[in-house]
Amino acid sequence: MITREEIIKRTNDALKKEFEFTDAQLVPTAQLKDDLCLDSLDAVDMVVVLEQQFGVTLRQGYDLRTMVTLNDLYDFIEKLARAHHK
Amino acid sequence: MTRVRTWFNTFFIGGAAVAWLAVSTVLAAPFLWLKSHEKDKAVRKFVYIQSLGIVFCMRLASTGLRVKTANRPDGSCVIVANHASALDLYTVSAFGFSNVVYITKGWVFKLPFFRYVMQSAGYIDAQKTSPADMLDLCRKAVAKGCDIVLFPQGSRKDPHARFKSGAFYLAEQLGLPVIPVAIAGTQHMLPAGSWWIRPAQITLKMFEAVHPQNFPGELGHLHMAQALKKQIMDFVDKEENL
Repeated sequence: MITREEIIKRTNDALKKEFEFTDAQLVPTAQLKDDLCLDSLDAVDMVVVLEQQFGVTLRQGYDLRTMVTLNDLYDFIEKLARAHHK
Repeated sequence: MTRVRTWFNTFFIGGAAVAWLAVSTVLAAPFLWLKSHEKDKAVRKFVYIQSLGIVFCMRLASTGLRVKTANRPDGSCVIVANHASALDLYTVSAFGFSNVVYITKGWVFKLPFFRYVMQSAGYIDAQKTSPADMLDLCRKAVAKGCDIVLFPQGSRKDPHARFKSGAFYLAEQLGLPVIPVAIAGTQHMLPAGSWWIRPAQITLKMFEAVHPQNFPGELGHLHMAQALKKQIMDFVDKEENL
């Protein structure tokens, strides 16, 4: 099963490539809206980017309003990965 | 010498520019107010004339102002430009775009005096308008023959900030070509947070229009944003490092 470290690395790599973030910005406590300035369209794009990165469907359970920080996003992907593994 | 020129630019040319905006508005307001038919179009034309006046002042304050234009396609377009100075708002007029609707941040709509002009011209408040309403308002503006102007970086704080993909999503949804515009030098003339107008070389470059169909797929608008940012910023960096 994919490890949390791998989830973090692959998520950050995808976000750096598509949204031009730097390593310094992508700390687990970074707030998606306030620190990373992701708007509603970015949130939709981010789901597509991460789906392509992990090869899973995220959009059904995904809700930006419930995800405040990058850490919440990692948790969400990890939870999906665990459910997928079972 | 540069210090003397900065003083002259700020107090004489800057003063003349502010006076031009104020006096032209006071003189034109009664006529625009009385105009019952296509008032919004008349206000946009008036803003275009005002902007040409500001570009003339920029020319006087600069060490040279060059405008490199290109052929535009027939019909409405989405115009996108980099944004590092308050002067950028006026530069679109240098290419002859006279009937434009700006999509801007909400705080601009709170400025006294400006807000009346912006509301009358039919400009769109990006923060108050939902994505669905934004599309609807843009469709109405396009039906009136307007071009849509956006600064995808959203603010002047970081001249190399990411281009957000909203403008390109809009172009994709409306089926409009996108005209990239590079604005080089204004961040040296009037940087964000400064009131001093420094002498600087200004270059305004309009590129050939790009069609959203060239960027297929679910993330087409995101990839279009990245490609056009590169095109614009490569030009700006080259010009500013001359």
